[in-house]
Amino acid sequence: MADDGADESAQDLAAENAALGLAVAATHAAVWGYGVVGAALEPGGRGTAGSAEAAHRDVRDRAIALLAERSVEPPPAEGAYALPFPVLAAVDAAALAVVLEDGVSAAWVRVLDQAAEPGTRELALEALSDAEVRAVGWRAAAGRTPVTRALPGL
Amino acid sequence: MSSLPPPGPRGFSRRTLLAASATGLALLAAGCTSSPTEQREQVTGEQADQLLGQVGVQETLVAAYTAAGAADPGLAGEVAELAAQAAEQLARLRAAAPGATPSAVSPGTPPSPGEARSWLRAQVATAATSHATACVSQSGARAALLGSISAGLRGQDGRLA
Repeated sequence: MADDGADESAQDLAAENAALGLAVAATHAAVWGYGVVGAALEPGGRGTAGSAEAAHRDVRDRAIALLAERSVEPPPAEGAYALPFPVLAAVDAAALAVVLEDGVSAAWVRVLDQAAEPGTRELALEALSDAEVRAVGWRAAAGRTPVTRALPGL
Repeated sequence: MSSLPPPGPRGFSRRTLLAASATGLALLAAGCTSSPTEQREQVTGEQADQLLGQVGVQETLVAAYTAAGAADPGLAGEVAELAAQAAEQLARLRAAAPGATPSAVSPGTPPSPGEARSWLRAQVATAATSHATACVSQSGARAALLGSISAGLRGQDGRLA
């Protein structure tokens, strides 16, 4: 029935919006976390952290814009987040960046799982791929092995 | 209004776990296949055929790792972990694609031992792009799996650069 179809469509979009909200929350944390990462790196390495932060801001703003088009309020950024471990040196900063990228990867995979719109999957896929490419570099800097993952975010 | 913390680990607020890791944990608990409706998990014939096609794409990539390693034994050792990950991806794809059976595929061979690395990298990039394209037209857990595999291969591409 047409009404059933409309209900299902609305339910699917609600699930997609909820997943996008989680992704926005994860990118808020990543943007904040990269401030910590950059502060702990040597000046020569801060450009990489700055680029990553900018990338997360960009994709976060695109997700927020998508939610705004649907009159959905995105989750706000927290003023501060508890760090999973002290970040006192460059290797700690790289390890924190790995946590940040792995966190957003999980959120974007969730979006892929829940998305009803192909355009949303394209956004999630781009964000996920970029996060994993950055994560590979940070895992190497943090001395993690292996540096690649078969199934990032899953 | 919350404010940014002062420098030093003692100054960080403890009221909110770092959302990135918390989100990851929450997702693990919920599982990525817990859709509110089952519609996303229903597979059309076209989607099923496409998923079988992606199994073939991944089989070709796994064979490419073998071919590149045979052409350049030094490279074989260097990329052993990447090859194992490609095989893991293939296993997950086969599990997700009903009716998938192993098939003999040939990716060709590197033009020369010296070009084995760049040849392999091109194979990885091709597979990543193929899985990404398929991801967008799939839904639910299949889209998540294809997207994750594609992203993993983008990471491999970077390592082979």
